[in-house]
Amino acid sequence: MESSEMAVIEYVVAELRDEAAGAGAHVAALAALCDVLAVAADHLFDALPIAEFVARLPRLLASGEGDVPLFAARAIAEVCEGVRPWATSFARYGAIEALRDKLLAIDCIELAEECLRALGVISMECPKECLSHGVPAAVLQFFDFFSMHKQKLVLKIVANVLGDFSAKDAAKAMEAAPVLCNLLQSTDKTILDSAVSCLVLVSDGACDSAQHMEKLYELNAVQATMRLMENDGWKSLSDETLSGILGLLKDLASLSARAVKSLFELNICDLLKQMITYYTSSHSDHNKVQTLVELIYYLMPPLEMCDHRTELIIAKKNVITEQSGYIQQLASILTFIIQVAKSAALSSICYSCVVVIRNIVELSTPSSLVEVQKTVNLSSLLAGWLARKNRHIIFQTLNVSKTLLRKDQKFFFETFIREGLKHAIDAILTQEKGKSRLPESCLCFDLDLETSTDDACRINNGAILKLAEEIKKNFLVKVAKSPHKFGCAFKSIKEFFSRLNCHATAPPAKDQDLCKQLSDFSRQLLSDELPSTSTFEFVQSGSIKHLAGYLSNGTYFNSNLRNCQDLIGELKEVKIRLQKFTHLALSVDNESSVKPLEILVEKLIDALHVWYDSFPVILADEQCTRESTMIPLRDSGTEEPMSLYIKFSRSAREEELEDYGGVLPVDLSSTPESIEEVLLPEICKRTGNETSYKENTQEANGSRKSVGLRNGDGHKFSRLKFSYKGTQLQSSTPLFESILRSMHEGETDLQIDPSFWDKEHKIVYRRRNKSKKISSHSSYNIQLCRVHEKLEMSLLKDPFFSTILTGKLPGDLDESDPSYNFLFMLKVLEGLNRFSYHLSMDDKLCKFAEGCLQEFDDLKVAICPIPRDQFVSSLLTNKLEQQMQDSLFGDGLIPSWCIYLVETCPFLLSFEARWKYFCLTAHHSFMTDEASSSTETKKYSVTRSKILEDASSMLNKHGSDTKFIEVEFDGEVGTGRGPTFEFYTTVSHELQRVGLGMWRGDDTSQECEAGFVHAPFGLFPQPWSSANTSSQGISLSNVVQKFKLLGHLVARAVLDGRVLDIPLSKAFYKIMLEQDLDIYDIPSFDPKLGKTVMEFQALVKRKKFLEERASNPAADLSYKNVRLEDLCLDFTLPGNPEYELVPGGSEKMVTLDNLEEYVSSIVDATLKSGISNQIEAFKAGINKVFALKTLRLFSEDEMERILCGEQDSWASNKLEDHINFDYGYDANSASVISFLEILREFGREDQRAFLHFTTGAPQLPLGGLASLDPKLTVVRKQCDGKVDNELPSVNTCRHFFKLPPYSSKEIMRQKLKYAIKEDDIESYNARDHQNKPE
Amino acid sequence: MALRRIIKELKDLQRDPPTSCSAGPVSDDMFHWQATIMGPNDSPYSGGVFLVTIHFPPDYPFKPPKVAFKTKVFHPNINSNGNICLDILKDQWSPALTISKVLLSICSLLTDPNPDDPLVPEIAHMCKTDRLRYESTARGWTQKYAMG
Repeated sequence: MESSEMAVIEYVVAELRDEAAGAGAHVAALAALCDVLAVAADHLFDALPIAEFVARLPRLLASGEGDVPLFAARAIAEVCEGVRPWATSFARYGAIEALRDKLLAIDCIELAEECLRALGVISMECPKECLSHGVPAAVLQFFDFFSMHKQKLVLKIVANVLGDFSAKDAAKAMEAAPVLCNLLQSTDKTILDSAVSCLVLVSDGACDSAQHMEKLYELNAVQATMRLMENDGWKSLSDETLSGILGLLKDLASLSARAVKSLFELNICDLLKQMITYYTSSHSDHNKVQTLVELIYYLMPPLEMCDHRTELIIAKKNVITEQSGYIQQLASILTFIIQVAKSAALSSICYSCVVVIRNIVELSTPSSLVEVQKTVNLSSLLAGWLARKNRHIIFQTLNVSKTLLRKDQKFFFETFIREGLKHAIDAILTQEKGKSRLPESCLCFDLDLETSTDDACRINNGAILKLAEEIKKNFLVKVAKSPHKFGCAFKSIKEFFSRLNCHATAPPAKDQDLCKQLSDFSRQLLSDELPSTSTFEFVQSGSIKHLAGYLSNGTYFNSNLRNCQDLIGELKEVKIRLQKFTHLALSVDNESSVKPLEILVEKLIDALHVWYDSFPVILADEQCTRESTMIPLRDSGTEEPMSLYIKFSRSAREEELEDYGGVLPVDLSSTPESIEEVLLPEICKRTGNETSYKENTQEANGSRKSVGLRNGDGHKFSRLKFSYKGTQLQSSTPLFESILRSMHEGETDLQIDPSFWDKEHKIVYRRRNKSKKISSHSSYNIQLCRVHEKLEMSLLKDPFFSTILTGKLPGDLDESDPSYNFLFMLKVLEGLNRFSYHLSMDDKLCKFAEGCLQEFDDLKVAICPIPRDQFVSSLLTNKLEQQMQDSLFGDGLIPSWCIYLVETCPFLLSFEARWKYFCLTAHHSFMTDEASSSTETKKYSVTRSKILEDASSMLNKHGSDTKFIEVEFDGEVGTGRGPTFEFYTTVSHELQRVGLGMWRGDDTSQECEAGFVHAPFGLFPQPWSSANTSSQGISLSNVVQKFKLLGHLVARAVLDGRVLDIPLSKAFYKIMLEQDLDIYDIPSFDPKLGKTVMEFQALVKRKKFLEERASNPAADLSYKNVRLEDLCLDFTLPGNPEYELVPGGSEKMVTLDNLEEYVSSIVDATLKSGISNQIEAFKAGINKVFALKTLRLFSEDEMERILCGEQDSWASNKLEDHINFDYGYDANSASVISFLEILREFGREDQRAFLHFTTGAPQLPLGGLASLDPKLTVVRKQCDGKVDNELPSVNTCRHFFKLPPYSSKEIMRQKLKYAIKEDDIESYNARDHQNKPE
Repeated sequence: MALRRIIKELKDLQRDPPTSCSAGPVSDDMFHWQATIMGPNDSPYSGGVFLVTIHFPPDYPFKPPKVAFKTKVFHPNINSNGNICLDILKDQWSPALTISKVLLSICSLLTDPNPDDPLVPEIAHMCKTDRLRYESTARGWTQKYAMG
């Protein structure tokens, strides 16, 4: 074969050399060459005498007769495709010119297509030469004549050629623009995308030339691209295409005033508002947002005059000023830009936004600016930005402030004082005078057209000071009104806390009067004055410190810990203060009012956002987008984890420690705490000096598992102090972060230079001196742990309570950091909100004990917490999202503030962000050392008839595997996603079978349907006595095994992204999250038992109270007019007569004297000892796969969401199939249609509330709505008065829902929400009058 | 616990029976009782003898008993299955209540129906708009199903 091919080659060479041969001979030779090359093996090209062809083929192509050019072109294409570097050789001999000329001549379509093939390769190897010879225009000349396939090749060639070109070639590139602009109308998506891509390349290279931009405009580039995006068309474009179009429009707007005019005529601002909303909320994309902001910037003339842009600036200004509507368009987008700046995670985006804001403010009318201030409180944001470290942001913010004052000095002067802007400017004047300039990456030219690196930063040393002085001198000299206003707020705050403290110490007899006074006053303050108080005034008034001091009983102010003598007394005092404040903060006059706590939290989060620089984003080079639907990574995602090289050396003054003397590569997550464990064994040696000089390359052991998993309670006493360049390092801050902060002292966002990973960083260590304070703190903690064991209220063991009790946030957070106070108070308030039921119910019990409440029916909690998402900080969430996009995040490039917030204040971050965090860090807590690829899958088989046994066996063996587990059923066709989904669903169903002995309610067989346990308030473990390991044919060991299986199942579901179908109770989720339960949790899963036990507890407290008064309690106390003895209760667990609460319990009757023991025993059996074996097995099942404590960053509602999915069945199922309509309604009634739409739009919590309102229970039986019996029936409610004032009501016996025929869907929604919400706080306002027993 | 309490209630009933009710276990199962309720004199159910079944849950008295009419009754708060819509059998239950008190409450319900919270809307509607017809129908059902 080879010899025959070479023979052909020799023949071809001989023929081509023969100049005398005719065209026919050349055609024959070239055809033979093409045939050989088309099927040639790779080695043939190595033997090809290329020198013979590189000169001849282009010449034959150019001047050959007949079919010679066709075959010459084909030969060139074949050769170039075979050996790409030869394309360069052909180019030197004029191949490009020849190919171009043939394309322009378009003599033969076949020849043209061969030319395209050749250029397809040559354009990749020689793009510059192709451009200089006008290839783009040539290939596009007769675009329409080509087949679809060839058209795509044409666009590929254009893209290759235009990939990178200099300004001098811009004219050549522009030759392609006319055809490309026409292609923007193509209906083929691929061609459209390619055309946009090419056009973007043209504009990128030509954007320095106004002339070229004007020409693009004349080609209708603006109209064509805008047409693609209108009517939500931009959402259907590919991401790259949309980015390209935005970039193109940005370039056009930057240099063409006519393009700007057209964009305004086409309502560009409306489109931009939609996009900004889209990309800042549900589809977060920082790069898109940055592009959108830049586009808005270029719609306006820049404020700084440039000599060589004067004409353009004037033209743009004329465009905007000639039509007032354009200014209004820009003004309408101002609030959107402000929102972007408010939650921007990066300084660069914030800076761009501030510049844009400045431009729009300059163009806006005073009245519109006043409206903006009232809508988004721009002054408050400006004050926050002036507190930033970034000088560029400060400078531009000062410019905005100056412009606002110039527009309407009277109005903005007032708001500047109220919102703290004047205070901020004064602070700048003070700081700036003594400030030395720190290095800072320049942002001045981020939005400029010319990118000359020679230009100096526009903000010279005195620029900020000068501007601040100018503003103060010209606009802020009047101070007449401010003292009065400020003093007024301060006085109110002071009086409030003075009364609070009186309230706290008031004796019970006077408490009611004081409570009324304080309630009235606090309502005025919190509900009326607080909303109208600016964040600045709120902070300056000292509210936060006063409130913290009040709640902590003074501990917050006194940094020295109290003596431990009366710790229990201290606990009680703090609890009482929390209870009283809870009542004040969560009570409202009517449901339409905003709760004071909500306002307070909003103020605190706004104040926290001012301290943007306390939470720096640390960026390496690579960014990757993380999907919100991701599932846990199996490893860090990088082949070789990044390491930091640290050279540890002994302090010069240290004599008792050895010098380490080596360079230690450490993980990114290593902290001084973890490094100490590695270093101490080496540097404490006093003999064997030789070993201390050996270079030790040992990795820091165990540090990989500490990422995000540090336990605050496990904080060890440190023996070493480390410092870098003279600055002592925080023991819990990662080493890389401390070093970076030191290297970039003046920066906000820390950009890591690649050399950071290569050089050695020197860190000095020495011994830490012990101090009495630490010793005292340690002693205090020991006392607290001992007391914890005796406490019955879970509230008192929660970290938030420890925070308020000690007056200190957990961990070693820097208390001097400005954000500390706000984090402290937010943590306390979040805990107070979460435990509001516990606090309030305990308060009711105490009031009942003291005789303030007389009836058991008064033991109801009348307040409810504010939604958890009120505590979410959009700024901190965005910053964490930005940090997680760094490709090294999985390696441990995680700033300490991220770890701290996730661990200590997870409520500040959105659930989506925390889920991503979990997915990116969970692999550090895997219980197996075996690493595997994220996409690797392992298959297992189970038998359907014994699925629980097989599932248990399989998960016991393979549950900890990091591979994805897929399951198939024996003897059944099907594998992969479907059967695996069914496996998880089926097992979770089988675990709910009656007769397994797992869950409460299992023994009420009459009540169960279809053989499954129905727990209306969620599943909770059934208590098992340790004295009885077998009951009714079920053994405790079997039950324990089932809980272990459930634990395995839960862990695998989390790890593999599977969904379970099992309605666990909230209390069970709290157990999963390792939170303690107490008596106040029982009503959540067993309301009737909980209610009675709570009432008994009230009786116990009352008896104690009376006994302390030396009265005769036994004669008077009764339970609802019935003597306790007459209740005929013994010391066995209700519903489980075999479970004796105490030895011989079945013979021991409950009396008033032993009621306390009885209540305590029931609580213990129900929540602790009775279920401890099951819970331990369940936790062991999870811990076998990954560390259970990694789930602590979620709440119980979020865990349910993770495990059971979003329950979107209501949106997709046909609700009308499972609901009856009667007595005035049918399926086609207008009211019914609206009602069903509202139900489908409900979120999870509203669905649950609706079910609770309608059926008395928040959970449906297994099988969902279809299983409800009797069927849910919607009937028309007869209304005597005005229909729209009526509320829906229910008959829970028959699942009747009485729906008034409201006049609109929105009114129906409001009334429905109000009714179901009322039900949540045990109010019966929305229910029909119940028949009372006579 | 439940069994001890049930036995005590049975003894109390036997010692001090209510005037218009009687109750006791059906057979050996102490958790399953049957009761008879005499129609109140001042109601359209007068003269009728109504059979009622009672099932005690295992965690009685922390949970209410399940009570249902076996005899057909024309009443807005009692449906064709004999289910009774009564607050003390639902969310207003308390361990301080007893079967005796429950039966007395049911008697009160027969005397004073609550059409504003109906289990059978048709009867409730009739009770509100055509009281005479409701009473007449109720009396007819009583004669047909609760006598003899």
